[in-house]
Amino acid sequence: MCDQTFVAATFGPCESCGKASPLMNIYIKTEAINYCSFCVEMMACKGLQEGETVASLKKESESLKKKLDEERGKLSDIELNQVAEKVEVLGPLCIKTRRVLKGHGNKVLCMDWCKDKRRLVSSSQDGKVIVWDAFTLNKEHAVSLPCTWVLTCAYAPSGCAVACGGLDNKCSVFPLSLDKNENLSAKKKSVAMHTNYVSGCTFTSSDMQLLTSSGDGTCALWDVESGQLLQSFHGHTADVLSLDLAPSETGNTFVSGGCDKKANVWDMRSGQNVQSFETHESDINCVNLNYYCQLNPFVSGLCCCMFTGAPQCRFYDLRADREVAIYQKDSIIFGASTVDFSLSGRLLFAGYNDYTINLWDTLKGTRVSVLFGHENRVSRVRVSPDGTALCSASWDNTLRVMSWSTMSNILFYTQRKGCCILRLFSL
Amino acid sequence: MSSKAHSSNNIAHARRTVQQLRIEASIERIKVSKASAILMSYCSEHARNDPLLMGIPASDNPFKDKKPCTIL
Repeated sequence: MCDQTFVAATFGPCESCGKASPLMNIYIKTEAINYCSFCVEMMACKGLQEGETVASLKKESESLKKKLDEERGKLSDIELNQVAEKVEVLGPLCIKTRRVLKGHGNKVLCMDWCKDKRRLVSSSQDGKVIVWDAFTLNKEHAVSLPCTWVLTCAYAPSGCAVACGGLDNKCSVFPLSLDKNENLSAKKKSVAMHTNYVSGCTFTSSDMQLLTSSGDGTCALWDVESGQLLQSFHGHTADVLSLDLAPSETGNTFVSGGCDKKANVWDMRSGQNVQSFETHESDINCVNLNYYCQLNPFVSGLCCCMFTGAPQCRFYDLRADREVAIYQKDSIIFGASTVDFSLSGRLLFAGYNDYTINLWDTLKGTRVSVLFGHENRVSRVRVSPDGTALCSASWDNTLRVMSWSTMSNILFYTQRKGCCILRLFSL
Repeated sequence: MSSKAHSSNNIAHARRTVQQLRIEASIERIKVSKASAILMSYCSEHARNDPLLMGIPASDNPFKDKKPCTIL
């Protein structure tokens, strides 16, 4: 397309592409358009501007939204918990706290497991990021960041690095070395740069790429080595509070949840928002809106924690493109801020602001168990990579590692105890 | 000038919304019954691999408490 010469009265950022260039000031149906000449050409070729005004576009978007709701409604032929009636009820689960990790000086905001199933990294409001060995309670590494409120941290798939970010608007990667005396802060690499706080980060399938979500309303994919922005994801109209990546075998999808009450599903390669879920809460009288989302292992289900007037966790199925279950109870009045699925996706752990963790049967929609122990709100729950333990981080400055056994194991223990007592008596 | 910029931004924003909704309206969907069946079969298939459902034998549990039997 060849550019025409024209007399430019103004120079500035084009209202269409944003690049600074000489602008053509034209009027379409009394609305002033200040585009650079390239964008005017594009407009003319697309032929979209014929009679297009804000009002007509608004009408079209309303009708599309209605059509979307209709289409989704058509598929709702049965409820998930009705289909799951034939599934057997779960036996009683015994979940006990096995380890309490103490060491942070302030609220623990985030944690992540290493793929070796024993190490984990946690970040806190005190500005510290600590790498723990959960078996031995050993603190293997500790880094102090210059800013407080390290909102997010992630372990690299290789186990050789950790990423963390927060109010400093950046996400930095620290390579972990075996040398204890090495100063980790010196090897810090700033990878992601946002224009507002970084709320979530995760490595993709390798150590080389980092996905971040930010309070500036965008998510971004970065190359760790060069710090280059590979792809950015625009679509949220408010702060993005969390993100979750699909397991690498199932493709390049991730989901992000934001303060605009929406969970968006993205294609990582194209940057396109492929699906979006919104709740229509009519009575929103809350001060704090928490929106956290987590993909289930099968990546057909997405669970979102919504805290509005009525605290609930909603389960959306990506293939049915609608909500299929709500996990709620009248007795639960505090919102959940974090969720994670068990390895098979059958069970859902949700950490609440009333200091408890509730365990839900995802298929039947019933609550299986409540876990107590924390003395302040639970900020993050994560099941270990092999499914044998759950780690929960809390505003009470600690992390708890919980593990489970079935009833049969408990019977085994009591039998052994009985044996010992008999022996004593026989003496 | 600011009001003109605002209205142009509205057009751009509205157009983006319409395009996004068009994409979303055109995706393929399946019925909830079918989706639920898929979810259920996945869960039952993988239930065997889920230590939370199957239980961990005490010898394998890396987090078990090591209590020596002091009575003996």
